[in-house]
Amino acid sequence: MDLRAGDSWGMLTCLCAVLWHLPAVPALNRTGDLGPGPSIQKTYDLTRYLEHQLRSLAGTYLNYLGPPFNEPDFNPPRLGAETLPRATVDLDVWRSLDDRLRLAQNYEAYSHLLCYVRGLDRQAATAELRRGLGHFCTSLQGLLGSIAGVMAALGYPLPQPLPGTEPTWAPGPAHSDFLQKMDDFWLLKELQTWLWRSAKDFNRLKKKMQPSAAAITLRLKAPGF
Amino acid sequence: MLTVKTWIVQVLFLLLTSESIGELVNPCGYITPESPVVQLGSNFTAVCVLKEKCMKSYHVNASYIFWKTNHVTVPSEQYTVINSTASSVTFTNISLSNTQLTCNIRTFGQIDQNVYGIRIVSGLPPEKPKNLSCIVNEGEKMRCQWDPGRETFLDTNFTLKSEWATEKFDDCKTKRGTPTTCTLSYFPVYFVYLEVWVEAENALGNVTSDHINFDPVDKVKPNPPQNLSVSNSEELSTILKLTWLNSNILDFLILKYSIEYRTKDASAWSQIPPEDTASTRSSFTVQDLKPYTEYVFRIRCMKADGKGFWSDWSEEASGVTYEARPSKAPSFWYKIDKSHSHGTRSVQLIWKALPLAEANGRILDYEVTLTRWKSRLQNYTVNDTKLKVNLTSDRYIASLTARNTVGRSDTSVLTIPAYDFQATHPVTDLKAFPKDNVLWVEWTAPGKPVIKYIVEWCVLSDRAPCIPDWQQEDGAVRSTYLKGDLEESKCYLLTVTPVYADGPGSPASVKAYLKQAPPSRGPTVRTKKVGKNEAVLEWDQLPVDVQNGFIRNYTIFYRTIIGNETAVNVDSSHTEYTLSSLTSDTLYMVRMAAFTDEGGKDGPEFTFTTPKFAQGEIEAIVVPVCLAFLLITLLGVLFCFNKRDLIKKHIWPNVPDPSKSHIAQWSPHTPPRHNFNPKEQMYPDGNFTDVSVVEIEPNDKKPFPEDLKSLDLFKKEKISTEGHSSGIGGSSCMSSSRPSISSSDENESAQNTASTVQYSTVVHSGYRHQVPSVQVFSRSESTQPLLDSEERPEDLQLVDNVDGSDSVLPRQQYFKQNCNQLETSPDMSQFERSKQVSSVSEEDFVRLQQQQISDPIPQSCGSGQMKMFPEVSSADAFTGPVTEGQVENFEAVGIEAMVDEGMPKSYLPQTVRRGGYIPQ
Repeated sequence: MDLRAGDSWGMLTCLCAVLWHLPAVPALNRTGDLGPGPSIQKTYDLTRYLEHQLRSLAGTYLNYLGPPFNEPDFNPPRLGAETLPRATVDLDVWRSLDDRLRLAQNYEAYSHLLCYVRGLDRQAATAELRRGLGHFCTSLQGLLGSIAGVMAALGYPLPQPLPGTEPTWAPGPAHSDFLQKMDDFWLLKELQTWLWRSAKDFNRLKKKMQPSAAAITLRLKAPGF
Repeated sequence: MLTVKTWIVQVLFLLLTSESIGELVNPCGYITPESPVVQLGSNFTAVCVLKEKCMKSYHVNASYIFWKTNHVTVPSEQYTVINSTASSVTFTNISLSNTQLTCNIRTFGQIDQNVYGIRIVSGLPPEKPKNLSCIVNEGEKMRCQWDPGRETFLDTNFTLKSEWATEKFDDCKTKRGTPTTCTLSYFPVYFVYLEVWVEAENALGNVTSDHINFDPVDKVKPNPPQNLSVSNSEELSTILKLTWLNSNILDFLILKYSIEYRTKDASAWSQIPPEDTASTRSSFTVQDLKPYTEYVFRIRCMKADGKGFWSDWSEEASGVTYEARPSKAPSFWYKIDKSHSHGTRSVQLIWKALPLAEANGRILDYEVTLTRWKSRLQNYTVNDTKLKVNLTSDRYIASLTARNTVGRSDTSVLTIPAYDFQATHPVTDLKAFPKDNVLWVEWTAPGKPVIKYIVEWCVLSDRAPCIPDWQQEDGAVRSTYLKGDLEESKCYLLTVTPVYADGPGSPASVKAYLKQAPPSRGPTVRTKKVGKNEAVLEWDQLPVDVQNGFIRNYTIFYRTIIGNETAVNVDSSHTEYTLSSLTSDTLYMVRMAAFTDEGGKDGPEFTFTTPKFAQGEIEAIVVPVCLAFLLITLLGVLFCFNKRDLIKKHIWPNVPDPSKSHIAQWSPHTPPRHNFNPKEQMYPDGNFTDVSVVEIEPNDKKPFPEDLKSLDLFKKEKISTEGHSSGIGGSSCMSSSRPSISSSDENESAQNTASTVQYSTVVHSGYRHQVPSVQVFSRSESTQPLLDSEERPEDLQLVDNVDGSDSVLPRQQYFKQNCNQLETSPDMSQFERSKQVSSVSEEDFVRLQQQQISDPIPQSCGSGQMKMFPEVSSADAFTGPVTEGQVENFEAVGIEAMVDEGMPKSYLPQTVRRGGYIPQ
């Protein structure tokens, strides 16, 4: 239990550190004068890449957790993982989001998720799993930087961590091993959902950016006529 | 107590040793810098500082310092005394070496003492690393490499650094063995730009390469596609479908592919157009392939945008396209057996198996159809590529198709003309030549439309018959190459036959070589005729098996043993050549080389000798010479015949009749008898070889007829009284045929010319106290056998019988006696001996015989007899007129005797010179 409490505190510090560092970064994917387009594409590809990574990582990790978590039709109710940022959202709400909010939600979600994954990293037993989790963490970190870069390119400020709304991975006093595994299970599941959602978000953003880029090109060419 | 002592000793020992070690270790001074690393080509200054204590104890200061590099003293010009305790040395333009530098002092008494030493290491600072590049093999960590620049001669560390804008990653330190490459310790995160650079550092400095910023996904080298498999389609015989497994990287990357293929036997790969495989896929259908052909495929992939690296090639996979119907009709030809009997012909239809490219599958069989004019079809199904049929003399149409599992080929049609068909219209200007290692044949088409051409060829050889191979060419073709395994340096006979609608035309032939070579052996030359100054050489044409090419010319080399070789070129059509201007009676060596376009080969050497004389030359010389000789001989004989009387007179002169001489008349004992035997009677027993010639002086002719008369008379008397004389012929003592002289019995010897003839009697006045006696001089050429009587008593007996008297024996005895005399008194002077002989009268002689008749006959008579001759002859010479014949006889004997005795005789020249009678 102490370990759990320690983990939670660790996550908190981790999140703080991430949020402290990232605002200083203008953009991870340096795209020069080409605008945000290429970095949005890169971020989109990165979500796909993370999906790919998570697919193999989740399989390994669920096997590590053991039955029933590694069973294909295991679909437990969401219990005890309330602090995890929820990717699922009402479609109308999602449509009503603007780019800045959309990017900010992504950013905030991955900031939290990264800290939780780092918690997994420390628990993982096998070296191969640790290596996979480590790489995934790095990649998630890259995604965070990438999102920050896109936001910077689009001129949006990074969301500031509010003391009141900071993620509270409240270590329940009666967290059993099973429930802990359930948390891990839901973490992986939520990660996957978020990656799907992000892919969607960035694809939408990508499509939205392309015409404007085309318009700029046209505008630039017009004086030539 | 003992332990306390031991403890004290130990403490003392420790104190002493530590004191002494401290003295030893504590140097007299030091050098700064302590361990310098100096850049090559730069200047370096070292300072040696002496300690006060040391200066005092050795009474030295800084000016006493001298420097050594690698035990060699540095010139003092490089020293600088800074103050009383410090001196520096400066080196300019340090070169690459590991130098040991020592600071020394020269103490009182010229003792050098080393103060301190350092080692100078020189090298270069690192150069800025260039050409930094990274690669990410799929599933592996990123590896970067760079060009480190020049050699530094120092330990140089390279560090590969990488970072994101938000995060620094762990450094990658190169390993000692691979200073130009490093593999990062973490898996790269794709789609996030990474900044990478290299830092190089050694004792002389550090330098950083240019930073490169890239997305690691653009450096990916994917794994090659797996499980490549090939499948064919029954519907389409020209396609093959490839399927494979892509790697997982496909989840987030778009790949493009490169597919290559080749037929199984080929070595070169063909590529499928890249634009057809520019996107992610896991299968591909290759089109436009040949039916029933095995193809080999391989595939690789890379990122579709072209950033990154191509994967390795996949493992090769092969597949066979499905069969199709044969694409071409087989080549079709026929051969007719020349013998034509009972109205049928034996015709062999032959065709070529379709090459795989045209068969498009496995040929199951061939269908042959024969059609005769207004007759029903004859069908044959054949597995082989030939069919023998018996046809009538009529014209036939043969058709052929090949069949495989899918279908049948087009039909080849061939007209077999009637028996009496006359082929015409051959191709013209038929030429064959090698080009590009194949034998080409070209021709000019005849004026008539040609359906196809049949090109046949075979190897011409004396050892094997001409077994033709053949190929068919289209009617439009004017040149082709022989599609067969031709051998080099073999003579090929090529025949081109045009085939017209009504049957084949006349064939045309040409010989060719794929590649000529020098002949295997040279021609064997020999002489056909050898004359005094010329030789006709001949040789046989080389057999075609050894020619190895077209014989262009021959070269005849001929030489004498010592002379230079002469070469003569002869056209290849000749088999004979005449070498002229040869030297007679000389040994010539000749050999011959045959030349093709590629070179020549010498034949064996042939040797012949030119005769000394030309043919008939000897005859031309010998025959006239013989004729001339014959003529001369004939003339000589004729001359002799004509002048026979003269010759006769010359050879057998009339002996002057002594009885007619005045002296003869003075002698009452000797009746004037003379006998001259004719030539026939001269040699009654043939043993008498020497001829005694009595030459009569021509002016002494007066007594001649009378002589003859008297001789005849004398002869008659002698025959009647004594018969034949045994003094002539036979062998003398020692079987010698020499004439011997017997002066004993003049009656006997009168039988022949050599018989003893008394021709003078000299009356001497007394010599000293001796009573002068009348000496009768007689000559004799009797060669009476003396010793033979012992050996051959029958002869003796015969003589006795004939003679009827015992006169022979006593004569022998006389001679024996004479021999004895000579032997017993060898020192008797010649004169005395001659006198003795000459003084023997006839009566005395008889007496002597009687006295010595009982004496034993000495065995060594021979020598005595031999010695006697000169005595007698000398006596003759000195004493009386000698007939010419006698002289000559004696001359011969005398010469011999003279040689025997070595005594000069004066009578010989006398008689010879005179040539006639010596007047008494």
